[in-house]
Amino acid sequence: MRRVVITGAGCISALGSDMGAMWQALAAGRSGIAFSDQPDFDGLQIKNCAAVTDFDPDALFDAKELPILDRYTQFALVAAREAVAQSGLVFSAELSARTAVITGAGSGGMTTVDAAYKRLYGDGKLRVYPMTVPRLMVSAASSHVTMAFGIRGPAYTISSACSSANHAIGEAFNMIRYGRADAAITGGAEACLTRGTMGAWQSLRVMATDTCRPFCIDRKGMVLGEGAGMFVLETLEGAQARGADILAEIVGFGMTSDAGDIVQPSLDGVCGAISAALADAQLAPEAIDYVNAHGTGTDINDVVETAALHQVLGKHAKAIAISSTKSMHGHALGAAGALELAATLKAFEHQTAPPTANFTQADPKCDLDYVPNSAREMRIDAALSNSFAFGGLNAVLAIKRVN
Amino acid sequence: MSDVESKIREIIAKEAQIDASKLTLDANLADLEIESIDLVSIIYNIEEEYDIYIPQDDEQFKLDTFRDVVDGVNDLIASKGAEPSSSAAS
Repeated sequence: MRRVVITGAGCISALGSDMGAMWQALAAGRSGIAFSDQPDFDGLQIKNCAAVTDFDPDALFDAKELPILDRYTQFALVAAREAVAQSGLVFSAELSARTAVITGAGSGGMTTVDAAYKRLYGDGKLRVYPMTVPRLMVSAASSHVTMAFGIRGPAYTISSACSSANHAIGEAFNMIRYGRADAAITGGAEACLTRGTMGAWQSLRVMATDTCRPFCIDRKGMVLGEGAGMFVLETLEGAQARGADILAEIVGFGMTSDAGDIVQPSLDGVCGAISAALADAQLAPEAIDYVNAHGTGTDINDVVETAALHQVLGKHAKAIAISSTKSMHGHALGAAGALELAATLKAFEHQTAPPTANFTQADPKCDLDYVPNSAREMRIDAALSNSFAFGGLNAVLAIKRVN
Repeated sequence: MSDVESKIREIIAKEAQIDASKLTLDANLADLEIESIDLVSIIYNIEEEYDIYIPQDDEQFKLDTFRDVVDGVNDLIASKGAEPSSSAAS
């Protein structure tokens, strides 16, 4: 098995349009969640969201290219550009054939779907924009990333709701580890802040009316976000040979399914995924310094996740810094795991655990160290990043710092 | 029995697949093992029936007993200042 490292990272979210901006917000405990007054949300009860605001598509994309790109694909491309540039990787004909593009998305081109349905059902129009299908495809972001960088190896999209990005990154990791590719561009992207999506989530009654306060006694639920995180993965050997800066090593990936409920998580499934990631990484619980929690801020997730960390990590659970950065970048669904890996890489770089923002008082059932409100300087050599999706699809990444 | 009470009883019985006779005014919804996913559908159907929004916060809308739901819905209908809409609302 080959060792797999991350040599490039990029992201865009409500916290800003690159890794540096994101870290500035995370380190300051500054939340990107805000009340949105956009007209599309008129009449909805839930208008809190973590929207990308520092973003000018006209300046970032060619006028000819832009009409074929859904907002989610635009995010994917912005993040991929940053990641590839940082990696310094040059995709020669030989390397391009051995490079994979595996991205995650929960629903893909939702802004395109919403606009098309509004025209047909709402406005009574009889035709939609001709590029509707290629824009809305859940795999569109993967395709556009291959085109942008001339990548000709295996490319596809993984969709597993809120675990999509972790599943994609984990699969890219495995592909390189087992020799089916030498490099990969991987991550997740989502742009779901549409009237249709907000209305649908509102009906599930899991959305906070104020803000996202994971693990707190007065938490009221989750807040939707949007954005993308993309990473360049390659072999440790390859990265060292070309003298690349190594951001971190992916050392383990654990997946389980609950076979339980379509919306409620199961303790067994969540424990199984965390255990599997540790076992795959050959890491003892004591090796873990930081956990970027799934931490949605719903009643059930935060209790189940806390119980699972106790069960799997034992006494060491109390000694680990755990934070939910969703309190700041919101829950970006299929991009969530990617934004959280981006946050974890920055935590390694700065040797600082980002906080759980908006923290008031811990729920007695959530009795771990959630790094409330203020970032904490600390030694971070190994970390876990958790994603647990609706429908019980769990995916956990284990990451280590490379000295 | 008010129309609102009987309509809400019908909605809860249908969505949670429980016997309507169990829905006495003092029946506790948790005791009837109404799952949260069913509650979400119950709320949706009541909102559609009366064209109201049932607030999510417990302080604003109690959902403990069947009586809480009926009283809460009656208050919302009254504050809307309109007659309960018929099935035409859906």
